[in-house]
Amino acid sequence: MQQQETADNDGARVRAWRHRNREPIEAWTILTPALIYYTIFFALPVLATIILSFTHWSGMSGGPEWVGLDNFRRYLTNSIYLQVIGNTLAFAVIILAAQMLLAVLVALMLNRKIRGRSVFRAAWYIPSLTSPVVMALIALTMISPVDGVINMLLKQADLPPVIFYLRVDLMWLVIIIFSVWRGVGSGVILYLAALQGIHPELYEAARVDGASPARILRHVTLPLLKPVTIFVLVTGIIGSAQIFEAVLFLSRGGPGNQTNVMMLQIYQDIFTNADIGMASAGSVILGVMLLTFAIINLRAMSRGYTGS
Amino acid sequence: MKPLPNKAAGKLVNLGVFTLLVLSSLLMAYPLIFAMLGSLGTTEDFLRTPWLPIPFSPSLTAYEEVFNSRSSEMLNWLVNTLVRTAWYIVIPGTLAVLIGYAVAKLRFRGRDAVFLYILSSLVLPGIVINIATFVMMARFPLAGGNNLFGQGGTGFLNRWPALLLPGLVNAYFIFLFRQTFVTIPKDFEEAARVDGAGTLRCLITIYLPMLTPVLTVFVVFQFVAMWNDYVWPLLVSYSNPAIWVLSVGFQFMTGSGNLTGIPSTVSFSPFGLAATVVATIPLVALYLSLQNYFIEGVAGFAIKG
Repeated sequence: MQQQETADNDGARVRAWRHRNREPIEAWTILTPALIYYTIFFALPVLATIILSFTHWSGMSGGPEWVGLDNFRRYLTNSIYLQVIGNTLAFAVIILAAQMLLAVLVALMLNRKIRGRSVFRAAWYIPSLTSPVVMALIALTMISPVDGVINMLLKQADLPPVIFYLRVDLMWLVIIIFSVWRGVGSGVILYLAALQGIHPELYEAARVDGASPARILRHVTLPLLKPVTIFVLVTGIIGSAQIFEAVLFLSRGGPGNQTNVMMLQIYQDIFTNADIGMASAGSVILGVMLLTFAIINLRAMSRGYTGS
Repeated sequence: MKPLPNKAAGKLVNLGVFTLLVLSSLLMAYPLIFAMLGSLGTTEDFLRTPWLPIPFSPSLTAYEEVFNSRSSEMLNWLVNTLVRTAWYIVIPGTLAVLIGYAVAKLRFRGRDAVFLYILSSLVLPGIVINIATFVMMARFPLAGGNNLFGQGGTGFLNRWPALLLPGLVNAYFIFLFRQTFVTIPKDFEEAARVDGAGTLRCLITIYLPMLTPVLTVFVVFQFVAMWNDYVWPLLVSYSNPAIWVLSVGFQFMTGSGNLTGIPSTVSFSPFGLAATVVATIPLVALYLSLQNYFIEGVAGFAIKG
């Protein structure tokens, strides 16, 4: 701050005010543009999507036409859309359960004093960094109908070829394996961190009391993993309910509509059906579902952290 | 650690666990091993042992093709991806540090309300804003032939601004930085202020060095997220190959995806696998050079979340 010799009364008062309110001034200098931007690129789009979900609109020409709850009624009564919701939930639950089970097992193994731990850890975590778009190419090379790896092996064993795209069960399996492969890594790291945070004295005490390894696992280790389990559940269900790329690339929702999921349906409503209203309604329904998961889990989490 | 009751049994269990870890890790790495081997070989190698295409005379032809052939603009896509990734690290990073500082360290009325307003986007999935943001880009006033009311042209669609404008204020990272600022006592800043330092000086010389671990976590996570970003770039750059990022270009080049029709039939091709390796190597290298930060970052989210 420069002191001016001919400071008149007003100037001094302004400077004093600025000095006294330095923190609010600086805060609002930073926050005003950020909040304007945030309102334009977050709050308004959310509001707009909600409004659009009550309209019919092709998105191309003309304007949206108000239809009330029509889109939501269609979403919750049409058998195709209902199947899409059911598939999404089923995929989310199966993938998450498989990931968590695998993650606990691998973390328990990695928690032992074992050579090359960081190599194993890398092998389990690196898939989580890969791009689903890019890795889908490998999966497609495996399941290609004629010259895919699996069909080549079947041919060498004199077995009839399998056309994956026509088999509902196999497409579910492929999508689940692909998603678990890409998603299990962070669970492994989280469980491993939690295991390493358990005080060695607890094990010591249990062992002195004559507990078998199985009993220690059941009564010491697993209860102490509860908080991290709840965290993995919270973030995991929200992530796996937004399953998209795996289905888009590997099955495109087929055969029929049997592996279709909400995210893919939303994009198909935009691109194939030119129905922004239904796409918006789908977004709102998915958003409400995820919000419900988040709230339920946040409650469980605050209990989990303080409870045990 | 005390010796186990039965030392031999413990050793046996460890051996079993070790074997299981080796096998399962190989299984996890299999897709990448397959891609690496396949990219160096030929279709003949693949026909011999389809499940593991061992290259009998390894060559880099497929990689040359990825960087030189007419169907691939790999170099262009890599540059676009790097530019976009750098932008989304520098701008949201700077903003998140500044906003995190403001809501953690500055006292002003309405602070909690502002913080909650920003955090509210954490609970909503990105999909809820994608559609409206897409329409906004298409109808942006006075851009791409649009008039003042956003009619008549294509707005920012298929142009760079659509790839760079959304998502600059990132609630997740603001939360991350705010939590870190809260743990740093204000004494350091106050001491510097006595010496005449302004806010910007305090941020750069005092706080930034203390933020290094969390900054690293931010950079690696944002790098991975932007490197792999696919849906939004596809939506807004579909008809302009010149601004495609890696994931969008990759998908069209290898024919692995499209939004409609039946799934693609993909034959074994060293070319596609070489592109896979090129797209994946930066991520693996990033992990290997910063693996402790990855572990810390992932675990840190759990503790702070």
